[in-house]
Amino acid sequence: MASILTPSVDALVTELARLPGIGPRSAQRLAFHLLRMPSERPQALADAIAAVVDRITPCTQCFSFAEGDLCPVCADTRRDPTVICVVEEPSAIMSIERTHEFRGRYHVLGGALSPIDGVDPEDLRIVELDQRIERDGVTELVIATNPTMSGEATALFLADRVRDRLKVTRLASGLPVGADLEHADELTLGRAYLGRREI
Amino acid sequence: MAGTWTASRLEVSDVRSWSRLTVDLPPGGIVLSGPNGAGKTSLVEALVLACLGVSCRTSREAEAIRVGASALHVGLELTGPDGARRRDIGYAPRTGRKLSIDGELVRSLGAWRAAGSVLVFLPEELRAVKGPPAARRRHLDRLLEAAVPGYADDLVAYGSALSQRNAALRSVRAGRTGVDAVLPWEPGLASTGARIITARRDAMRSLAEPFARWLADLGGGADGIMGLEPSPTSLADVPDTDLPAALTERLEAARDREIGAAQTLAGPHRDDVFIGQQRGDGVTDLRRTGSQGEQRTAVLALLMAHRDHLGARSGLPILVLDDVLSELDPTRRGLLLDAAVGQGQCILTTVDPVAAQAAADRGARVLSVREGLLAA
Repeated sequence: MASILTPSVDALVTELARLPGIGPRSAQRLAFHLLRMPSERPQALADAIAAVVDRITPCTQCFSFAEGDLCPVCADTRRDPTVICVVEEPSAIMSIERTHEFRGRYHVLGGALSPIDGVDPEDLRIVELDQRIERDGVTELVIATNPTMSGEATALFLADRVRDRLKVTRLASGLPVGADLEHADELTLGRAYLGRREI
Repeated sequence: MAGTWTASRLEVSDVRSWSRLTVDLPPGGIVLSGPNGAGKTSLVEALVLACLGVSCRTSREAEAIRVGASALHVGLELTGPDGARRRDIGYAPRTGRKLSIDGELVRSLGAWRAAGSVLVFLPEELRAVKGPPAARRRHLDRLLEAAVPGYADDLVAYGSALSQRNAALRSVRAGRTGVDAVLPWEPGLASTGARIITARRDAMRSLAEPFARWLADLGGGADGIMGLEPSPTSLADVPDTDLPAALTERLEAARDREIGAAQTLAGPHRDDVFIGQQRGDGVTDLRRTGSQGEQRTAVLALLMAHRDHLGARSGLPILVLDDVLSELDPTRRGLLLDAAVGQGQCILTTVDPVAAQAAADRGARVLSVREGLLAA
């Protein structure tokens, strides 16, 4: 398509449109918004993006985002290295960290098993997890893969693999706090029933 | 009886040959009578679109849009056990399906279907008796989806676990990964599979008796037999509560062989439904050895049994029999009309004036359809 505005605006729109949830129209709107701002704001955004591209590497231990060898969690010596929470992607770490409940460390698998999409166990960071378990004397694995079919299968696969060596737990599925029972779907409510506990 | 479903007004825009049409439908029996190509089946298709959200004639809804139009629309006033509702469906190739009930947008096709019930018999439904097992499973699954909450979800979950396990089996056979990559998909298969089998068994138990009764009433003879042929057949003797364990064991025992075949060889995805008849000392398999007429009667008996089943649960569905009458001899036609007309709403199409008259004699209203025109 011929350039309607200028090549650089077109390039910006094209790049923005590659982002998830952003279509061509939203990309255009964002681009015009950036152009209207005082120039230091888009510059700060550009700098932030450039810095991330420049400095972020996978953490050598847990494969989350790091600047340098280790991510902030792995570098924090107060965190318990013998409890590892396994997640599919780094984004899950943010969610769990916000709870302030977990004091161990993480391990990012890089996805979940899905043979249909060509994701076999060899394509996830499972060997690396085995090595950490041996090296750090891990006593508990908290499996926090997503409660989807793929996530559940991945959880089962990991549990079968390490169950004889250490304690394996899975995040509970159940009712959202502060919500009415009548609004829960059957599947969630069924899981919550199966996972009920004595009080 | 949980009530009856009745369509009272159908508004059609740009479906097949119809550009715009509003038709008031009486309760009870209705005959759409007219020559080939007049648009009878297209009206049926519009009604089905407004009840099920999909076409009964094509898997590509775009084909149902009138040539020259860019979108189709069907409005339906439908009274069910919970009262009267206005249903609207729009379809355009670019934007897809848009469903609403009483003006409120409905996003899930499941919710849309749960709020409207129709049973359709098209001539090709004969496959439910003489076709491959998949056709009989689909027929049964459609009934269960309408009657059992959660069944559709279980079918979907079972299907994806099955595809994942099959893909894992292929990976193992190709040497890309180890056997343990197959294992994590098995618990899901066993638990959803057990629920699917249990629901199918329950349905068979309640369908077998009405099927035999309808087969006799429609002139197909006494002692009709219907039952689930589970895969593997050894599951037939396993009680419901032991099904998850039995399926787990089977998956484990067959694993090596299934890696060789790179697919899951047995399970509810291979179930079949036996449709036959006790004759003298032997049992006749109507699926394989029935004559064309016997098979047609068996399908109609199956359909009527399904209707009873739904009638006792979610309300008696509207029965649509497209082009069935002309293929039956006068005796069987009379028996079918006796059964269909007078119980809930029933819409029949026919090219045969004699068949239309036979329906009218039993109290059905005849609407004459001619080249885009409808006359009472």
